[in-house]
Amino acid sequence: MVVINSALKQDEIKDVLTSYNEDGVTFTFNKKAGIKLYFETSMEDKTAAAALAKKLIKATSWGGVIFFSASAE
Amino acid sequence: MNGLIAWLEKYIVPVATKIGSVRWLVGLRDAFITTMPATMAGSIAVLLNALLRDIPTQYHMDSFVNAMQPIIGVNGQVWTATLAVYGLIFAFTWGYNLSLQYKVEPLAGGIVTLGAFLMGLTQSAAATLTLGKALSGSAAKVLTTAGAVVDGKTVTTNAWGYFNFNAQFGSTGLFTAMILGGAAAAIYIWLMKKDVTIKMPDSVPPAVSKAFTAIIPAIVAFYVIGIFTYAWTQIFNGQVFLDWVNKTIQEPLLHLSQGYGAVLLLTLLVQLFWFFGIHGTNVLGPVLDSIWLTAQLDNINRFSQGESVRYLWTRASFDMYAWIGGAGSTVLLLIAIFIFSKRADERAVANLAIAPGVFQINEPVMFGMPIVLNAVYFIPFVVAPVVMVTIAYWVIQWGWVSPIKVQTVWVMPPFINSFLATGFDWRAPVLQLFNAIVGFAIWAPFVIASNKIDPNLEA
Repeated sequence: MVVINSALKQDEIKDVLTSYNEDGVTFTFNKKAGIKLYFETSMEDKTAAAALAKKLIKATSWGGVIFFSASAE
Repeated sequence: MNGLIAWLEKYIVPVATKIGSVRWLVGLRDAFITTMPATMAGSIAVLLNALLRDIPTQYHMDSFVNAMQPIIGVNGQVWTATLAVYGLIFAFTWGYNLSLQYKVEPLAGGIVTLGAFLMGLTQSAAATLTLGKALSGSAAKVLTTAGAVVDGKTVTTNAWGYFNFNAQFGSTGLFTAMILGGAAAAIYIWLMKKDVTIKMPDSVPPAVSKAFTAIIPAIVAFYVIGIFTYAWTQIFNGQVFLDWVNKTIQEPLLHLSQGYGAVLLLTLLVQLFWFFGIHGTNVLGPVLDSIWLTAQLDNINRFSQGESVRYLWTRASFDMYAWIGGAGSTVLLLIAIFIFSKRADERAVANLAIAPGVFQINEPVMFGMPIVLNAVYFIPFVVAPVVMVTIAYWVIQWGWVSPIKVQTVWVMPPFINSFLATGFDWRAPVLQLFNAIVGFAIWAPFVIASNKIDPNLEA
């Protein structure tokens, strides 16, 4: 499971991650708990998946502005 | 809360995104960040020389200072090549990072901004000396051979190639580097983007091809700035552009940054940004660095030369006195939790977050507690740094604690960081401790209150 902590842009984060599909890597939205968004991922290495999620969010126009974290659980 | 988030996303995030995506501001922020190897090396040299020379001299330990001369000399070399020429280093990283933002050849971009900066400086050492009597023929010949003009009792030198190293290469040159370098980079980047370049065949090695591509844009940029700076000195009786920038822009702006209002406003804005989930440092980084870091570098350079510092509040002052353990002084919250909280969830987060918190990293507590958008902790998160910054500001203003004059890494633990950064002023950690007690007193009632809330009711 990949957990994204962000107070803002939660819908956009869901869109960015769930629309990603490259080299068989996907993210599926699981649940929301407060500022935490949980995603299932097809990647074996969850830490690498969290790093990829962070990179994808950072690549958006607003990714450098919002305060968020991505971690593996 | 959902309404507030929607409002923030509609009105605040787009503005913050606009600011955060202005490539000039991102380039400026990165230009400061990329100088860090030089600033840290220079700061270590300043710190060591304070330890080996300045403090022992105060205690008349002359034989010790003499014995340490070789090490002091090496530190001097390191300082000369880093902080003493910070403006020069920044002039390069400015163009380099700006070019990276616009995806054009960055090395040439750095060269262009470095050259533009040099054109704004004094480039010769001029002096006129009136003697009591005329020099002998052989003495006059020695001087004229060295480039001086001897006219009776008057000797005039106007030796070219002598930059005023001490007065213009350090932090004094930063705004000139920003303005002239920025103008040169704008021309260079615009021409590169317009493809006004020399095209080389594919068979040419990439390094050669890149250098050729940048030739025309760089030449135009150099010449435009050259014409401007030459005309400037002609119109204003030899006054160089740097002197004008310093008098009319840099010094007034830095003076303004020393006001309590400016310090308080910035602290408040950073707190509000972080609380509402906006990356405060990314958005406000260009302001923090271009103003308060410039002031800090000025202090460091003056301190290393044994002069009194000019600025009482600098970039690191925020970290030392307002943001102990990270924005919001959250390490104090963690201590309050250890003492007062019986909530298992809070204590679990505090256990995880205390070690990074000691090193000024507070992401685990910001998201783990969470602090972001947590109504219970909004007041202490904003109020504690505001009160702490107020105390520290006035204590330093009244001269009870030395201002920052040595750069330390931002992850250095509290008390050690202020002791080192103030050039070993023991009163600085005492002030930090006093501030920590005040901050703790502000956080503690809210920790106690949070224990009366069922964690399951919190979003």
